[in-house]
Amino acid sequence: MFEYLITNYNYMVVVFLMMMGLWAMIAKKNLVKKCIGLVIFQTGIILFYISMGAKNNSTIPIIDPKYGEAAINYANPLTQILMLTAIVVGVATLGVGLMLVQRIYKEYGSINEDRILEKFK
Amino acid sequence: MIWQFDILLLTLVVVCGFVSLWIKDLMGAVIVFGAYSFLMCLVWTGMGAVDVAFTEAAVGAGVSTIFFIATVFHTSRTIRYNKWDLSTKFFSSIICILMGFFLMVAIGDFPAWGDALSPVNNNVAKYYLENSMEETKVPNVVTSVLADYRAFDTMFETGVVFVASLVIFTLLLQSDGRKKLMKSAFQKVSFLNVSESLIIRKACGLMVPFMQLFALYVVVHGHYSPGGGFQGGVILGASLILLSMAYDIKKVFARFHMKFMIKSLAVGVLIFAGIGLICLILGGNFLDYSALSKLFPSMGSIKSRYNAMLWVEVGVALTVMSGMFAIYTSLSSNGKFEEGL
Amino acid sequence: MADQFLVLIVLFPLFVGLLIPIIAYFNKSVVWPLAILSLIGSFWAVFNTATQLLKLDPSSSISYYLGNWMAPFGIEYVVDRFNIMVLFAIICVSLLTTIFAKQVIEKELGDNAANFYSLFLLFITGLLGITITGDAFNLYVLLEIASLTSYGLIALGRGRALVATFNYLIMGSMGACFYLLGVGYLFIKTGTLNMDQLYDVLPLLFDSKAVLVGFVFIILGMWVKMAFFPLHSWLPNAYSLAPTAAACLMAPLMTKVSVYVMIRFMLNVFSTEYVYSVLTINNIIVIMSSIAIIAGSIYALSQKNLKKMLTFIIVAEIGYMVGGVWTGHVDGIRGAIYHITADAFMTLCLFMAVGCIVYRVGNDKLESLKGIFKKMPITMICFLVGGFSVIGIPPTCGFFSKWYLISGAFNSGAWYFIIALIISSLINAVLFFRIIEIGFFGAMSNEKPDYKSLQSIKFNEVPINMWLPLVIVSMILIILGIYTNEIMTNFILNIVPMM
Repeated sequence: MFEYLITNYNYMVVVFLMMMGLWAMIAKKNLVKKCIGLVIFQTGIILFYISMGAKNNSTIPIIDPKYGEAAINYANPLTQILMLTAIVVGVATLGVGLMLVQRIYKEYGSINEDRILEKFK
Repeated sequence: MIWQFDILLLTLVVVCGFVSLWIKDLMGAVIVFGAYSFLMCLVWTGMGAVDVAFTEAAVGAGVSTIFFIATVFHTSRTIRYNKWDLSTKFFSSIICILMGFFLMVAIGDFPAWGDALSPVNNNVAKYYLENSMEETKVPNVVTSVLADYRAFDTMFETGVVFVASLVIFTLLLQSDGRKKLMKSAFQKVSFLNVSESLIIRKACGLMVPFMQLFALYVVVHGHYSPGGGFQGGVILGASLILLSMAYDIKKVFARFHMKFMIKSLAVGVLIFAGIGLICLILGGNFLDYSALSKLFPSMGSIKSRYNAMLWVEVGVALTVMSGMFAIYTSLSSNGKFEEGL
Repeated sequence: MADQFLVLIVLFPLFVGLLIPIIAYFNKSVVWPLAILSLIGSFWAVFNTATQLLKLDPSSSISYYLGNWMAPFGIEYVVDRFNIMVLFAIICVSLLTTIFAKQVIEKELGDNAANFYSLFLLFITGLLGITITGDAFNLYVLLEIASLTSYGLIALGRGRALVATFNYLIMGSMGACFYLLGVGYLFIKTGTLNMDQLYDVLPLLFDSKAVLVGFVFIILGMWVKMAFFPLHSWLPNAYSLAPTAAACLMAPLMTKVSVYVMIRFMLNVFSTEYVYSVLTINNIIVIMSSIAIIAGSIYALSQKNLKKMLTFIIVAEIGYMVGGVWTGHVDGIRGAIYHITADAFMTLCLFMAVGCIVYRVGNDKLESLKGIFKKMPITMICFLVGGFSVIGIPPTCGFFSKWYLISGAFNSGAWYFIIALIISSLINAVLFFRIIEIGFFGAMSNEKPDYKSLQSIKFNEVPINMWLPLVIVSMILIILGIYTNEIMTNFILNIVPMM
């Protein structure tokens, strides 16, 4: 049981974080909180990829004669590159989202979803 | 990779994430969220993903926290209006719990965390680790995969930064503000009426050159150490952000005007794609840097890969720097480009 | 040069999209011709690729390795007879839209026009890239390019567009994240991102739960992106409030490309055996799409606003395609694949015509269409051709895709899907004949026609570069219909394996 917890703790946290973010994106009414939820969801996915690329007893993926040539000695570079891309994409999306929040506030004077919908009526 | 640290840090991450969603004061929530990002980057360092952690420290804990603060500053800070909408909350909780259960069930099917023999660590990734040195002469495998094997992804990722900055700039700038901004190019700005204290200004003035020097080091030394175009670009952008916080945006614009910012955004991606295009014209495939050796016969195909990667990183850094600064100035001044935070 | 066409398809709009912010600073008037030139270049590349492809064996494909790294290590571009059709549709739609959009963009956007063109071309780049790529992660990056540009394009619209964009951003990012998560679940079991290699490896893992979750999340992500019925809430507002040019481009393409990705993953990554034999969820999804079709049609019927009505027709059309694929019969899948192309042109025709009407009349309310046939005869005839195609009247292409869909549903015993298709056709008929009534006789059904005010309406058609693309699109609808058989035998027949 304890062994199972250690070997899968990362993945459980991933699921927990993602669902927390998803819940905030759907259920929260405040637009800034929705954005926070979005970023939590994305970091959850990034943690998932990084966790699957981790190796026991390995070092960072920079080839060094000190640690030899064998691939088993270095952490997985591929997942890291994918997630570098995902981080940058995430911050770009976040920027656009926050810009929309500011414009919405300027136009409707509120960043609460319910209150904005009330103003439409 | 030490599982005790991992479990401790991840627990803290979950707590921080929960608190930042729970707090009613938005500024507090954003600050806690900065802590969340920082803890997350520690977790990633622990798993050997230094490049990702570096980027997250600069982007997640640094720049995006500032974006959040700018937005909260220009909108409202507290959640005043709180209609208790039980049905939405209940409904979304049910969806999330079901989906989470579904995802949890599949975890039992995964290879154990840290298993060096799992498919992920053996199929394609192993090839990179074993052959990157021979094929590109770049010890940092992350850089060689980022800028060469999967360079096409990276090019579009730089394109994403370009698109985001362009969208934000276009939408936040009002039409009258646009004319004023373009007229105000390079006018002398008086530095006397800035509000921040002398100490902050002097301290920032001292810090900024060193930050920029470090950023340049990160960009050009990405072949040998963690870092590269993204990280260096974000730090360069952060130095400009620091400068515009200590003084105001106008002062920074006197050095680096908005007109050039939009252009350097495009130029960065164009450097990247242009190198690819030159390869194509020289008879190789798109982004096949070894074709560049036809242009510089002394280099040979491996050396030209090595050098082309450096230029690609410079292009990335240029776009990311201007992108981060453009997003910051737009968000922090609410599209007016005068005061900032 | 001959082997570089695949990448040139994407490069033309990419480079021009990046150059436009720089060029516009010096000379704003060259932006529109440049955009058109880049799309013509891209069209030329697609055309050459197609001629190369048609010389080959029907089931073969052309690959292109970016950076000259072999497939699983580098990123691969693949063109086969499936995505060449989608590429043709994308490039034709975007070329015609760009020609059409000049005046509309100047009128609606003013100062922002140059940046708009830049985003416009990058959006097309993203879609072309999604269609052509053979790498699951590259697809995600391009999906994000297409999404971010579309947020920008929609937010430039009028009125409540900002709030609609924010909703779209939240939903769209959710969809993209689901996709990325699904790819992650496949990646952890296989260790590869290349679609061909996934296709080879996955059969060994068909009983794995992780693969199942991966499949479900990829499909779920695409459903969000394509606005499949319960997840459609972002679409109607976003597309009806966007600037006309953006709506003309996005409404036909974004949803269809998501459908393409879904079918791509079902046929070429997971294989038909997994989707239809190992999983037994066909019936549930066909029922869901039947509900989607009926709900979309009923919502469309209740709208008083022309653009909003069309957006709900899109929601119904998505139901056609999803249902057709999941019937699990060869005819249904073929019909759905044919419908991707056909529906792209139908939607384009309708949105362009509405764009013309809004350009001359000023709004898109149904009651302001009185006497529109006299005022803008060319536009309205093309609008009707589009409408007939949506209803499914021969010889337009809509009839033939529906024919195949019904045949597929009949052979797999999904009678509810046939009923949904027929009901939706009837409702569409009501919708378009109502517009004929208003436009021709100048009266809503409960009023008496006012012939005097009708006579005072004068001929006032839109400029030639607006109506000419519209006429071309409506001709394409009929030509596609007439040559259905050729398209089926030359392209679609070989995509779908016999089951």
